Amino acid sequence: MNIYVFQALNGLGLGMIYFLLSVGLSIIFGLLGFVNFAHGALFLVGAYAAFFTSQATGSFALGLIASFVCVASVGLVAERWLLRRTYKMSHEAQILVTVGLTFVLTETVVYFFGPESQRVAPPEALSSVLMIGPYPIPSYRVFIVIVCAVIGAALWWLFERTLFGARVRAGNERPQMLKLLGTKVSRVYAIAFGLGTGLAGLAGGLAVPLRGADPSMGVEAIVIAFVVVVIGGMGSFSGPLVGGLIIGVTQSMMSAIWPEGARLAIFLLMVVVLLLMPKGLFGRA
Amino acid sequence: MDRRTFLSLAGATAGSIALPRLAVAQPKPLVYYSINAFSGNFAASGKYSDLGVRAAIAAYGSRLGRAIEYKRIDTEGNPAIAVRKVQQAISQDGARHFGGAALSSEALAVMKEVNKANGVYITYVGADEVTGKDCNRSTFRWSTPTFGAVNTVLRPLFQQNPKWKKAYTITGQYVFGEALLRNSKAVMQDAKVELVGNSYHSLAEKEFSGYLGNAMGSGADVLVILNFGANTLDLLRQAASFGIKKRMAVAVVWFSGLDTFQALGADVTEDIYFGLQYWHGLDTPGNKTFLDVYRREFKENPRFYSAADYQIATLMFDAIRKGGSEDPAAIIKALEGYTYAGLTGEEQVRPFDHQVIKNYFLARGKKKSAMKDADDFVDILSSSKTASPKSASDCKMA
Repeated sequence: MNIYVFQALNGLGLGMIYFLLSVGLSIIFGLLGFVNFAHGALFLVGAYAAFFTSQATGSFALGLIASFVCVASVGLVAERWLLRRTYKMSHEAQILVTVGLTFVLTETVVYFFGPESQRVAPPEALSSVLMIGPYPIPSYRVFIVIVCAVIGAALWWLFERTLFGARVRAGNERPQMLKLLGTKVSRVYAIAFGLGTGLAGLAGGLAVPLRGADPSMGVEAIVIAFVVVVIGGMGSFSGPLVGGLIIGVTQSMMSAIWPEGARLAIFLLMVVVLLLMPKGLFGRA
Repeated sequence: MDRRTFLSLAGATAGSIALPRLAVAQPKPLVYYSINAFSGNFAASGKYSDLGVRAAIAAYGSRLGRAIEYKRIDTEGNPAIAVRKVQQAISQDGARHFGGAALSSEALAVMKEVNKANGVYITYVGADEVTGKDCNRSTFRWSTPTFGAVNTVLRPLFQQNPKWKKAYTITGQYVFGEALLRNSKAVMQDAKVELVGNSYHSLAEKEFSGYLGNAMGSGADVLVILNFGANTLDLLRQAASFGIKKRMAVAVVWFSGLDTFQALGADVTEDIYFGLQYWHGLDTPGNKTFLDVYRREFKENPRFYSAADYQIATLMFDAIRKGGSEDPAAIIKALEGYTYAGLTGEEQVRPFDHQVIKNYFLARGKKKSAMKDADDFVDILSSSKTASPKSASDCKMA
């Protein structure tokens, strides 16, 4: 196997992580038309929830569950008591509030855990490498790809094949009609918001064994998440999947072709997509 | 009582009240300004640098003959903020004595401001320009330059491992990384080790799997890592997960120290070679004094930033004592050529470029089972005070 095949496979794995990181952002935008700048901070909280729980219990699986539950709870509380009040405000006001929430969450994490980087080793069963030709692929990265694929399939089923999914989609397009039919739209919004934020938390939990947990990770995450949803298209489910895979493969392939341009390439790609398809590949207006 | 008598009595009374105060009046305290990122993404450095300065003040006690007041300048990891706050301190408070900065970009910006104000500034950042082409009369640098770091780490490793014929480098694409790469290439050329490839990465990079794939595909015998801080942490974590240590040796030329070992864990750092500016296990008189104070005050082992800030603050206090004045010109004169018992052994301030010549260390990560305590991450293999000669210096001090 040559280096480019390895980089392509590696990029697919990376793309699945980016998908999980950004799908919550896209769901929330799709449903509420609300751009959640606190998404990166929720990713950060998920990472620290996983770190804290796995240190306390010795179980990484419990850490992952905690990362989802804890961040979904934070999301629900924030939606109910803070963000719901901003839905009818301008985008500028929403940005101000969610950026403010980012600072609050980040500094809360620093207050409790300090500014240093924290670590969680992958579980023993996932700490080996799988050989593909002469190249090793860490088992943990394969595990992440599988988890992301399962979550992606579950989300598709939830949004496309269930009554809840139909209500979410209807709530996005005709909220007044849905209300007249007896659905409590605010509850649908809250559940979808909690799900979107919980996914950001789970992505943070999954990322900890790869890159540790530190207070700056939220800022980095929101940048990548926005690039992915801008390329894939805001508000769609398939957008983050395709956007994530494109970004992951591009970044990985460029590492072999022109390493110093690997990061630059993903931003160039975003610019090109914005110029040619302003709504992204699968975006809604 | 006439007016003259009243004034005499009042004057005598006021004088008698003031006299004891004058008799016990203390000299004005020295105000030392520590520049660091105490908040923001680089706040981990500020947290430990703060402990280092406090340890230096505690260790110095009353030896300076006056109180030492310590003020923090929080740069938030942003050179523009660093410059603005330093300018403010200079113009509003008359600040003249500065130390610190975790980021090279901050130090390079701040040193110009301090020099304009005829102050004195000691730092420990990685950029060689501080005592190279951008050197100035006000600025001193404690950390070993990249030339010394590369020569201390790579030269003995290549000599002791003659089977290493090919090397691959992963380099941070900024001035510091470039300097490490330039020096590494020179050492490789001398040792007849072929550089089979290099991957540059940006400072913001988090995902190194692609670069590691390049290194694995290159057939290199050793991976040489030429970056710093969070980049090194992420890279080493990912290298360990790819099992790269089973395929090639790994050497990190410039590593922070205990805090980064703790963030990685022995399972990652085992068998990796590290270049260190300081290690808490050093058996030197200077380090013994520091450890006594630091452990008494903070009940833990010092990290790199604590040690570095302790050392530069102590240097400033030493120079004030030696020069007999807090006037920056006298401090600069006292520091030039100053030889002292530093943390890393005998250290000396080189007069022509204000660079401290000190030991740099080559260490190897221990197995977890071989660690004597929770912080015993490395064996120190060797050290050297290698420094580039005056003839090779870009420093032209006015």
